[in-house]
Amino acid sequence: MVVVQGVTHRYPGRRKVPPRTAVASLDLHVPEGGFVVLTGPNGGGKSTLFRILSGLQRPSEGRVRVAGVDLFQEPAQARRAMGVVFQKPALDPHLTVRENWIVHGELYGMGRRLIRERLDESLSWSDLGGRLDDRVGTLSGGLARQAELVKAMLHHPRLLLMDEPTTGLDPGSREAFLTTLVSLRRDRGVTLFMTSHLFSEAEAASAVAILHQGRLLALETPDRLRSALGETMLVIHTDDRPGLAASLREEGAGVTVTERGGAFLVSGVPEPAVLMEKLWARHGKSIRDLAIKRPSLEDCFIHLTRSSTFEESDPENPS
Amino acid sequence: MILAVRALAWREFLRFFRQPHRVVGSLAQPLLMWVLLGSGFGASFRAPGLEGVSYAEYFYPGVLLMLALFSGIFATITIIEDRNQGLLQEVLVAPVPRLAIVLGKVIGATGVTLAQCLVLVAASPFLGLWPGWGGAALLLLGLVIATLGFTALGVVIAWNMESTAGFHAVMSVFLLPMWMLSGALFPLDQAPAWLWWTMILNPATHALAIIRIPLAAHAGSWVQTPYLWAMTAAVVWALLCLLVAALQVNRVPKGR
Ligand SMILES: Nc1ncnc2c1ncn2[C@@H]1O[C@H](COP(=O)(O)OP(=O)(O)O)[C@@H](O)[C@H]1O
Ligand SMILES: [Mg+2]
Repeated sequence: MVVVQGVTHRYPGRRKVPPRTAVASLDLHVPEGGFVVLTGPNGGGKSTLFRILSGLQRPSEGRVRVAGVDLFQEPAQARRAMGVVFQKPALDPHLTVRENWIVHGELYGMGRRLIRERLDESLSWSDLGGRLDDRVGTLSGGLARQAELVKAMLHHPRLLLMDEPTTGLDPGSREAFLTTLVSLRRDRGVTLFMTSHLFSEAEAASAVAILHQGRLLALETPDRLRSALGETMLVIHTDDRPGLAASLREEGAGVTVTERGGAFLVSGVPEPAVLMEKLWARHGKSIRDLAIKRPSLEDCFIHLTRSSTFEESDPENPS
Repeated sequence: MILAVRALAWREFLRFFRQPHRVVGSLAQPLLMWVLLGSGFGASFRAPGLEGVSYAEYFYPGVLLMLALFSGIFATITIIEDRNQGLLQEVLVAPVPRLAIVLGKVIGATGVTLAQCLVLVAASPFLGLWPGWGGAALLLLGLVIATLGFTALGVVIAWNMESTAGFHAVMSVFLLPMWMLSGALFPLDQAPAWLWWTMILNPATHALAIIRIPLAAHAGSWVQTPYLWAMTAAVVWALLCLLVAALQVNRVPKGR
């Protein structure tokens, strides 16, 4: 559905701002019916790639094909095949939900009658039933996002592109939004491509793409990403960091140790229970807690980038 | 294309009428001008070379022009607001010709501005300036062309602005001179050569002419040569601005 070939994007830079490569020779394939979540730290190039895929920006090099046509050579045809949800709200707050949808439908060449049919249809999968004639400005964040999603689906796109669509939503609305996405994919075969800096949102994806400093570090199913770290990992908080670190260094080559948030994360351990006992015997006095857990996607990410600067709970993504 | 233009213009109207402060503000302006013009503050006014023309007769078209110019250009500030939300991006990813995006904005802004101008046109009989129905039709045509041109110019400027504050700043530098050098304050033929050229290149000069001549000469005025020239110039200006606006919107920023 989306084929990205050798895409590089360099921002020209301005006075005192040097040019900057935001995406570097990227190849990416989003299969028909897939659900790809593009994740990575802030500044990794997610928004840049998103703007390229939605046709708002031309890459310095490389080609992008959407729904079988070249995005920049046959933009109208490519655009018809996609629905886009931006990070910033794209509903006019002064207009009602219905009026916003009508404007959108007409932009996509739909007549009022067709728009009305699609609206009835969308009420079956959204919670906007009683709110159609309310101004968008009066909706809660979660409902406004739903209205945005319905709008993007109004012309029945085969591909839905979303840039951090859950930013600013409370956990409940976030969950509801993702559930809706999953059922849209299941029931209509819509291909989903979404950027997110929250790894937890990638769990439902068919593939997770990790973009770091403009390069694709991985494109894998969530399960395979996790299994790269082994079945289990240890999380240790200690008061004697040098001592523990020394003991961990004695372990075999397959064992990876990362420090994050004051904790040691140990993965690739063949027999975690044995190691736990050994560490407890040696450092029991200084260890505050010692736990065993399954690797999360975030752990995989840290493992891949070895960067300790990443903040999972960053509420705002400025770009 | 037509559907898209209509939808965008319709949205522009709706959002205007849904913001009471914008509606009230834009009605108060022409009403205030009406009162000022009617109050006879310049009963002793005599423009040199224009003896026998009442002050209201002289200033009224200039005031109409001011309304069309300022309101028309400021109506396009919504482009910047649209960009700061995702509204502009949403329109840009839609499969519509880029010209439709410009026309939707221009026609919407023109409609909003014309509504304001009509409030002041309604004042003309009370100021003793009623040009008859034919003249009024020509006047309306002039206002439509002038406002289309100004809003298209507004789109060209607003497209390159990142903040509404910057837009205000640029506009306050440009708009007043444009209005003053349109002939609204002093007649064109008394200006020195350099000023004459500035004025003849100024779109507001021609906009003023196609507003003023129908008022002064009634329905038959369209056969006059100055009117035809001014109309041609105003149409060319409007088309030029539309073209530049469409080219700008068509440009997709490219990486180096
Ligand atoms: N308009 C721009 N001009 C110059 N540099 C930019 C621009 N937008 C983003 N960048 C730079 O490109 C890199 C990637 O940014 P971005 O695509 O926004 O990443 P993300 O969405 O993953 O946070 C960053 O280093 C950022 O500073
Ligand atoms: Mg971003």
